[in-house]
Amino acid sequence: MKKDILKLGLALALFAAGACVALAMVYAVTKPTIEGHEARNLEASLKEIFPEADAFESLNGELSADTAGVTVTGAWKASKGGATLGLAIRTLGKSYGGDAAMLVGVRTDRRLSGVRILTLSDTPGLGANATSPTYFVDKASKTTFPGQFKDKPVSDPFEVKNDVSAITASTITSKALTDMAKAAALAGSAWLEKAAAGGM
Amino acid sequence: MQRLWKIFSKGIVYENPLLMLMIGLCSAVAVTSSVGNAVGMGGAMTFVIVFAELVISLFRKLIPNDARIPIFIIVIAAFTTIIDLSMKAYLPELSKSLGVFIPLIVVNCIIMGRVEAFASKEKPLDAVVDALGMGVGYTWVLVGIAAFRELLGNGTLMAAQVMPEAFQPILFFTLPPGGFMVFALFISFNIWLKKAMERRAAAPAKEAA
Repeated sequence: MKKDILKLGLALALFAAGACVALAMVYAVTKPTIEGHEARNLEASLKEIFPEADAFESLNGELSADTAGVTVTGAWKASKGGATLGLAIRTLGKSYGGDAAMLVGVRTDRRLSGVRILTLSDTPGLGANATSPTYFVDKASKTTFPGQFKDKPVSDPFEVKNDVSAITASTITSKALTDMAKAAALAGSAWLEKAAAGGM
Repeated sequence: MQRLWKIFSKGIVYENPLLMLMIGLCSAVAVTSSVGNAVGMGGAMTFVIVFAELVISLFRKLIPNDARIPIFIIVIAAFTTIIDLSMKAYLPELSKSLGVFIPLIVVNCIIMGRVEAFASKEKPLDAVVDALGMGVGYTWVLVGIAAFRELLGNGTLMAAQVMPEAFQPILFFTLPPGGFMVFALFISFNIWLKKAMERRAAAPAKEAA
């Protein structure tokens, strides 16, 4: 019996070790590519939100969100020729299918310059429509779900089905993303105001 | 050769994992709301089952019977993580839209079932052929259901607009209840197909006439 357990444990350990080696190799090979994608995605997202900016300065840890369940995981100050254009804020929140990350741009005139969803693992065909470039919440004007936040004043109520159009049959996704946009908008405009007052 | 063809082809109709064995259904309903996802999921799942069956068949004499389930899981999980990382690196868009369903291949009962029932007893070549048959059987059903649901529920195929602009998408087909209904239709179609093939095999003379 004792010998049996040793044998079983040994077999299990051997297979686990083999799997470990294989995974370590694949991980090492794919890691730079995956990180490259993430960095490029972030760069592209920042550029999309502030197309006219020529420099992005990271402001890690200087902002925080007041809304429960939403955290700020990064912020960048967009500027052109030394003049501040606004802030891009990355928020993390919970949506229907788990964590969702979003990049929100707030301009110095207290309007959103744009919203981009970075990660969302909601149901394909439903909540995932939030990231689809061909899913329109307003078919007439071809406005996508994140697209409707462009130029939205920070002082708006950000209420789904009131001033924000929901994605059909995906109220939880719509609400979660809207809350994240609102939290980022408030945190961003507060920082910008403080910076303006402090002469930064 | 004929023996191998028999092993391969049984996964497509006679022992189709989804429509006949009725295993691995959970993710099948979930990912079939678009054809692109179904192709990606079918491909990922085929990769995992082929390599899992190959490795387990190769080492079948070294796997102690009492510890076989944890060893199967280690092997399946390793290949699932490999395909997950590779898709994240080389097919980031697809990986994003499939999300959590790729890691969930680990607990897909089709792989566990075939590894336990087939690969742990048969020779490597047979196991790979069996895995390919199961993979193709799984993929064609996924793509078929997804085409049906995407076309009627969204008016598109592979994210390209197919239906005329005036077509009002029937959202029901994208939602889970529609998924179950289309699934049931496919099951009955497969049973009809199986019976038709059996009749044909039983009366070849009649068919010729």
